[in-house]
Amino acid sequence: MVNLRRILAILVKDLRDTGRDGRIIVLLLLPIGMAVFYNSTFADPKELPTTDVAIVDSGGHGVARELRAAAGKSVKVHLRQTRDAASARRLVAANDVDFAVVVAPTVREGSAPAEVLVAEDASPTAQSVIALVPDALTRAAGHEPPAQTQVRAVAAAGSQPYGIDEPRAVTVLLVIVLHIVFVAMMVVPIQTAEELETGTFGALRLAASGPEILAAKASAGFIYGLGGVGLIVVLTNLDVHDPALFFGAAFGLIASLVAFGLLMGLLWPNSNSINTYASFLLVPLVGLAGAVLFVQSGILVTILDVLPFSQATKLLADGLSAQTPFHAGVGSWAVVAAWSLVGYVILARIASRREI
Amino acid sequence: MEVEDLTKHYGAVRALDGVSLQTAPGEIFGLLGHNGAGKSTMIRILTGRAKPTSGRARVLGHDVPRDLEAIRGQINLVAETPNVYQRATAKENLELFCTLYGLPKKRGAEALEQVRLSSVAGRKVKTFSTGMRQRLLLARALLNSPRVLFLDEPTRGLDPRSARDLRETVTALAAGGSTIFLTTHDMNEADELCQRVAFLAEGKLVALDTPRALKLSLASTAPAVDVVLDDGSDIRLKLDEPQDTARLQELIAARTVRSMHSLEPTLADVFIHLAGRSLEDDRADEANQW
Repeated sequence: MVNLRRILAILVKDLRDTGRDGRIIVLLLLPIGMAVFYNSTFADPKELPTTDVAIVDSGGHGVARELRAAAGKSVKVHLRQTRDAASARRLVAANDVDFAVVVAPTVREGSAPAEVLVAEDASPTAQSVIALVPDALTRAAGHEPPAQTQVRAVAAAGSQPYGIDEPRAVTVLLVIVLHIVFVAMMVVPIQTAEELETGTFGALRLAASGPEILAAKASAGFIYGLGGVGLIVVLTNLDVHDPALFFGAAFGLIASLVAFGLLMGLLWPNSNSINTYASFLLVPLVGLAGAVLFVQSGILVTILDVLPFSQATKLLADGLSAQTPFHAGVGSWAVVAAWSLVGYVILARIASRREI
Repeated sequence: MEVEDLTKHYGAVRALDGVSLQTAPGEIFGLLGHNGAGKSTMIRILTGRAKPTSGRARVLGHDVPRDLEAIRGQINLVAETPNVYQRATAKENLELFCTLYGLPKKRGAEALEQVRLSSVAGRKVKTFSTGMRQRLLLARALLNSPRVLFLDEPTRGLDPRSARDLRETVTALAAGGSTIFLTTHDMNEADELCQRVAFLAEGKLVALDTPRALKLSLASTAPAVDVVLDDGSDIRLKLDEPQDTARLQELIAARTVRSMHSLEPTLADVFIHLAGRSLEDDRADEANQW
């Protein structure tokens, strides 16, 4: 019978110890730092069209928020809150903004009365956003517009074979895979091997069962892994199209690798040697994960099809890009799940044989 | 505790080979043997961390490791190595195990007080001396007031005062009804602390009795005394030699004896007799490895 209190106690101890172990801190922060660095190095080639808008909304109806929501991710709307209609008019006349929306202080039944002030030479982008103003005003008045308008960007034909071929997105995606591999196959095994090396594993075994200790170590891996992926997404402002699929794929990859990480921790002679040598093993694995983005035929594709890194990378890419470049479905999930199962079965056998 | 025909094989190596023994509540039981004799394997099995190849081990009436969960909160161990979290403080080390045992965290503070480490409760363990770490191990082992306490070379590396404190704590625990299962290289310690001792050699139990009975079993030769005289010289006199007994009487009558010690077999003598070499040889072997 597994005792959750004991698992939680060991997990909290591991999380606390992480902040005191320089090796683990470096392993966790390195990919995050790399992601931030590459994200700032590779400019996003898909610069969104922009429009500058002045908003006069003294009644605080949230028109600005609704307008930005209506524009979605196809147009970057720069909003300037303005005091009154005269100020808005001056901004439009001076070409400081493309247009202005002046909302009446009180809302009438069904809509927020407003005046739109447009510069004579307003850009097509500005005009397309002006077309969204009525919907935004209706929503601001607390009603749904008669027709739902969804604005989506469409990539030019032939320019993006995978939909994520921009260096920035590809690099950040691979760094995310690197982070997960570091966590599952370095951080988790280092923490496990150190417990065995120092004898604290034996001390824990008096008060908790082997499966409880390993469950706590695996849980720490999931927390580091998913926490790091979330942090990378936030820090790089990565535009994740399908967060559920993206984080689900990250979870799947962690699940498929953590069992092997725990095995490494049980079998490797000591934690420092994992820290020194494991990266030589892991870099090729990340290479295999990245290969799915570039290799489309040949024997390598067959090999990649049965590996969890590459299948999880496909799922991550599908979650990242609106174009779901791989359309990776049940097959990819099955490969990831099969590796997870195999990993935990081997782990259970080895742990039992070693009386852990 | 009850061990019946216990055997443990690691491949071709027989770590334990048909060992049987029993201990009673409140008893301090010593298990002595060379390195690799099977002492640690015995403790691993009795604490539920290893499965016997054959035979049976019962602790507090429960088969181990099968029923370990039933006795987990009633046993504890002071390991030979200082297996504490070095980057954590003494307090954090004990609080972790309080949580694992379902005890209030204040129990950790009480245990630290018991081993005189309260003043360094907030210090990281990596800054502790060997003796302090050993005392922290003892504090951890006392957390759950165990009914059975295993001690694996507990005084190794301890200064005399800490070793004495540990012996006093162990004796007090036994007086309270706990069973103490001790492995040690220190024959004097075993002689002083243990009510019964067992000798393990190459996985087999070669002797089991009270220290006194074991020593008497080797006393086949007549007793002798070492006498130190006022002038600093010393002589050994055999009490079955008439001239030696007469000489001893003369010295006593002349009041020239500064000290006199009877010579009787020690546990170490018994061990050498039974196992072929002394436990000190193990230490010499270890020293040579360095």
